[in-house]
Amino acid sequence: MKRRAFLGLGGLALAATAMGGWTLIHNGPQPLLVSARNNADGKHYAVGYTLDGNEVFATQVNERCHDVVPHPQLPMALFVGRRPSTESYLIDTRTGELLQTLTSPAQRHFYGHGAFHADGQWLYATENDTSEPGRGVISAYRLQGKQLIRDHELSTHGVGPHQLLWLPDNETLVVANGGIRTEAESRVEMNLDSMEPSLVLLKRDGTLISKEQLPERMNSIRHLAIAADGTIVSGQQYMGEVTDKAPLVAIKRPGEAFQPFPLGEEQRLVMHQYTASVAINSELRLLAMTAPRGNRVFIWDLDTGAVRLDAALPDCAGVGAVEQGFVVSSGQGRCRLYDCRQPKIAVQPLQLPAGLWDNHLRLA
Amino acid sequence: MMRSPFTIALAGLALSACSQTDPQQTTSAALTEGVLVPGYSSWVETNRQLASSGAAFCADQQDLATARQAFLGAQSAWAGLQPMLVGPMGEGNLSWQVQFWPDKKNLVARQVTALLNKTPQVTPAILDKSSVVVQGLTAYEYVLYDTSIDLNDPAQKARYCPLLTAIGDHQQALSTHVLEQWQAEDGISAQLKTFPNERYAEPTEAIAELLRTQVTAIDGLKKKLGTPMGRQSKGTPQPYQAEAWRSNASMSNVSATLAGAEKIWHGANNDGIQALLGDDNKALKDKIDAAYAETRAQLATLQRPLSEMLKDEQGRKSLNDFYETLNILHRLHEGELARTLGIQLGFNANDGD
Repeated sequence: MKRRAFLGLGGLALAATAMGGWTLIHNGPQPLLVSARNNADGKHYAVGYTLDGNEVFATQVNERCHDVVPHPQLPMALFVGRRPSTESYLIDTRTGELLQTLTSPAQRHFYGHGAFHADGQWLYATENDTSEPGRGVISAYRLQGKQLIRDHELSTHGVGPHQLLWLPDNETLVVANGGIRTEAESRVEMNLDSMEPSLVLLKRDGTLISKEQLPERMNSIRHLAIAADGTIVSGQQYMGEVTDKAPLVAIKRPGEAFQPFPLGEEQRLVMHQYTASVAINSELRLLAMTAPRGNRVFIWDLDTGAVRLDAALPDCAGVGAVEQGFVVSSGQGRCRLYDCRQPKIAVQPLQLPAGLWDNHLRLA
Repeated sequence: MMRSPFTIALAGLALSACSQTDPQQTTSAALTEGVLVPGYSSWVETNRQLASSGAAFCADQQDLATARQAFLGAQSAWAGLQPMLVGPMGEGNLSWQVQFWPDKKNLVARQVTALLNKTPQVTPAILDKSSVVVQGLTAYEYVLYDTSIDLNDPAQKARYCPLLTAIGDHQQALSTHVLEQWQAEDGISAQLKTFPNERYAEPTEAIAELLRTQVTAIDGLKKKLGTPMGRQSKGTPQPYQAEAWRSNASMSNVSATLAGAEKIWHGANNDGIQALLGDDNKALKDKIDAAYAETRAQLATLQRPLSEMLKDEQGRKSLNDFYETLNILHRLHEGELARTLGIQLGFNANDGD
């Protein structure tokens, strides 16, 4: 989705009516990179930087966050608490002001991911029902002024949900059910011998549309990216033996079944059974993924599966699409811009602070 | 979600930090020339000896004891290389092709047997296409040392020899190829010396990777000892989960890895990581020097094979004491040293989210 186009159409009117009190301020000519980041002492921050290195905000938060969900129109973003955190933070992305500490109710904790609906009035977050550990819940929060109010819950129709995103119709939610049962205040896997990962599509009212699985039961479906044409890509983390051959990237093209993405054996091996963030550049029809155990960044042609980039980047973390291609962060080194507009991808280090970047980044 | 066009000012990222006098660049280059390239070169040499030993043994021109010595040489060189696995050897599954550990389910025995039953005449080409489990030193060790195999029996020797020679060739080819990649025009050796390049944006990133690799190897030693010591199994020793248990070389491997780690610290001419600590950090430097000396001293007292030490109280206590010195060494590098050098070792790789 082109944000500017969206703003031009519905955003302003909406903001003027349903979200009175906010002024729409553009971040200027550059996107804002938002991410969870630590400082050298291990303290947790919600940060926003322009890509040329200007710090827009760095707000200290209690708990380590995972993904960030920018509001589709307003200058705010939810920094979602990392599993098994019970806190998420709604931040003003112009100033870093903490607008709200969102606390999950008893017997719920966040899984690190969420998604704003395109209308900007609802946020959906994956949560764990710890009274029935692992039962996947999607909690719907209504935006009222500068506060998210918990409204109702849906089922993810699966166990241990992780990332969720909208299809371009803005009415269908896609959920990666990781399949792993964990208990409150714990990250210990309880059911490695009986995992149930699945890719679920559901309607906004919670009705199940489809539930698909990969053949390998221990292949946890974790992260998602969705193209403008509705193509869904997932990244897996395989919990079985290091020598097993499990598909670590999978794809569901519109109208087709969920299936392994054609991955070269060399690429699959270098991932060490572990993928982190995925992103799609819809204009360039490219798929990018970070594999921090292999310290490698990959870019593929989304349509042909051809490898466009297989590059070293120690402790690579978040990835997001920009006009030129992709921006990738690292827990250890500098962030990189991969300019993919020419046949040979050009890599440029960015003047953002090096290292300590957490798993995901978003461009708001 | 995509934003409108923008341009990024990439003007001269830390160009001033890339001059010849940058201490991190000097250290990275010195370690490359003085420690890493020599380390890889001697590893290649031990694999050349392994391949020729395998061929000689199988032609009945060398006895088993000599063949085992050649194996131990290659295995020790590989252990010494652990703190230096930056670049091609740290990527992909190449390291599995050299050694398959941990082997929780004794895959090496099963897969060697299955391979030879299916393909009695294993050739290097067949081995190249086989599982990593049978391609490397772990399979070679199994053939040379496992009590179920009697290489003095001509029939058994004939059964296992094609595999031995194929592994020798595979290891020689693999190590030679890796060294070539190191020394290629834009290879990792060049990338560790001149910045910025496709891999490293600045010298700090190279130093961070060298330190991370070294720290990972020291941490790996804790796993290699901790697993057989039963630290992951409620204190019950697991002698067959040790690295190199068949050749009784577990402790000498530890020694080789520690020596490799210390080379990264000292460098060939006191120009390793330690050179980055100025006079104001002399206390830390002394502490790390002392920690290396202590691990060496402790290790020197552990003269019995690991499997024997695991059997009695005194042996287990000595191992625990040694494990503690490793732990101190590991923490000093991971914590104080990294912090003092302003280096992030990263945290996403083992995150599980």
